[in-house]
Amino acid sequence: MNDTLKTFTPLAWRNLWRNSRRTAITLIVVSVGLWSILFFNSFLNAWIQSGKETALGLLTGSGQIHAQGYMDDPSVEKLMAPPNPALTAALNAQGVKDWTTRLALPGVVQSEYKTLPVNIVGVDPDAERRISTIPGRVSEGRYLTGPEDDGIVLGLHLAERLKTGLGRRVIMMSQNTDGTLAEQSFDVVGLFDADQGTEDFYAFTGRRAAQLFVGLNDEIAQIVITLPENGDLEATFQTFRDAAPELDTRTWKQLNLLLASTDTYMGMFIFIWLGVVFALMAIGIINTQLMAVFERTQEFGLLRALGMKPRLVLLMVTIESALLIGAGVLLGAVLGVLTIWSLSGGIDLSSFARAMDMLQSGEIIYLKYHADGIVLFSLLIWVLGIVVALWPARRASQCSPVEAMTRKT
Amino acid sequence: MDPIVTCRGITKTYGSGELAVHALSNVDLEIMQGDFATLAGPSGSGKTTLLNMIGALDLPTTGEVIVDGQALSTLSKGQLSELRLRKIGFVFQSYNLIPVLSARENIEFVLELQDCPAKDRRSRAMEALSDVGLHGMEDRRPGAMSGGQQQRVAVARALVSRPAIVLADEPTANLDSENALELVNLMYRLNQERGTTFLMGTHDARVMEHSKRHIELLDGKIDRDTRS
Repeated sequence: MNDTLKTFTPLAWRNLWRNSRRTAITLIVVSVGLWSILFFNSFLNAWIQSGKETALGLLTGSGQIHAQGYMDDPSVEKLMAPPNPALTAALNAQGVKDWTTRLALPGVVQSEYKTLPVNIVGVDPDAERRISTIPGRVSEGRYLTGPEDDGIVLGLHLAERLKTGLGRRVIMMSQNTDGTLAEQSFDVVGLFDADQGTEDFYAFTGRRAAQLFVGLNDEIAQIVITLPENGDLEATFQTFRDAAPELDTRTWKQLNLLLASTDTYMGMFIFIWLGVVFALMAIGIINTQLMAVFERTQEFGLLRALGMKPRLVLLMVTIESALLIGAGVLLGAVLGVLTIWSLSGGIDLSSFARAMDMLQSGEIIYLKYHADGIVLFSLLIWVLGIVVALWPARRASQCSPVEAMTRKT
Repeated sequence: MDPIVTCRGITKTYGSGELAVHALSNVDLEIMQGDFATLAGPSGSGKTTLLNMIGALDLPTTGEVIVDGQALSTLSKGQLSELRLRKIGFVFQSYNLIPVLSARENIEFVLELQDCPAKDRRSRAMEALSDVGLHGMEDRRPGAMSGGQQQRVAVARALVSRPAIVLADEPTANLDSENALELVNLMYRLNQERGTTFLMGTHDARVMEHSKRHIELLDGKIDRDTRS
């Protein structure tokens, strides 16, 4: 077999260049096809990642824990105590990057001009800096200094709608623990810049300050958890469920259904794209290989007449296909890697900021290498290409020597 | 002396009914070891069809062809390929060399198909090229050779596997008279020196002049079979 390959491989390689134009066309078809798959795979992965980092980094985290019923009715009656020792141990385990607690309650914010609905979020600023991107997004003024800080940080767009600003006072209102209306004025100490939804509907103050505002002791509304980039989401969150089965533990996929769907459908989309590209490539490969076989009908007849067995003819033509498609795959992979490398500094989509907001994506998409994806798609294209090229190869191997040698091509 | 090829009552019919064409009708023929025979006849007399039958490239409609003791009708496709590879050498009218291989590689290719060890292939190919007077041209590709040289390579390729018989179909048809004569002399010399059996379908008087046996076909039947 080794001897056969040693003989057929150089022969197959020389045969490829008998019609350099056709070979070039097939190379282009395969390499551009693979390049597009690698590029889109990287782009979509980066897009998904950017969307995750943007959307989850604001408030959601990798997941959250709430009291049962809070997600349906996020009121002051559906709060929970700080984590018990078992849950605390699970939260401090190795698979968890960080966690914090928040108090989040629905309320309204009132300026001299307008009253608007808002979620009042009480945070621990130090922990929040490790978990959320909001502290880093404060574009005017300052972020909160501690759980007792009773200043308020508003979104830029909300402040604009309220016609308020730094150093001004706004009235926050929410339901008190006794069912009455809690009402308190807060100094606007900072303004943050995020997507419009977050800017409009979230206002941040110190957690203790928020608890005091509605008459709570140490009750909280949520525990927010972040995991390392390659953390095992389901397994880790199961440990929280096991530690506190009475609580409602949800991963980001359950909290942000749109993002989870995007994640799933983008993954499917790349395979649909793979299917479309491969179908086009298959047509190109079959077409050019059939032409190659047809043009060399007499030669295959000669080989059969000389005593070459059909399986060896099949092997020879298949080696040609494997070399040709392999070269195309190599070229496509190199082009793909170069493209990804050249764009790894980020693709700036800020001119589509509103659209990116709607799609829950960041404005800059950072392409990354995914070595396993490059290897997987390259191998897949190579193997599938060889499989479709078997048909022309089989035609060549099954020719009748007499008919083939007398055919005028 | 045992015959290398025996044809017993072979017929070949293409098509059926009123459109049937009888290319060969009840042909009986024996080609003996060492024959240098020509197969002549007008176009459509069945020369190529008969050579194809003997060369195991096609099977007769009825009758039997036996090559070196093997009845072709009993062999599978794979066994027929094997028989062509080891027992029969072919020389075609239009040279039919593999264009991307050099003269030497074209010859080595047949040896490779025969699983000849790599170390023997080159020396045997070089020897075959030397036999046909092409020493020093082993690295040339067919495109860089004249028609006569290409046909010599084809003869070397046919002979390198030491076949029981060499079948040549109009081997001189595409050659000028000088090259044609050289080729005929070459084949004749190989027949005389090595006892290689040749059966050639031809119109060429120069080939027929050298032949020791002349078979004339007419309308698919053997009209004459004479030895000189």
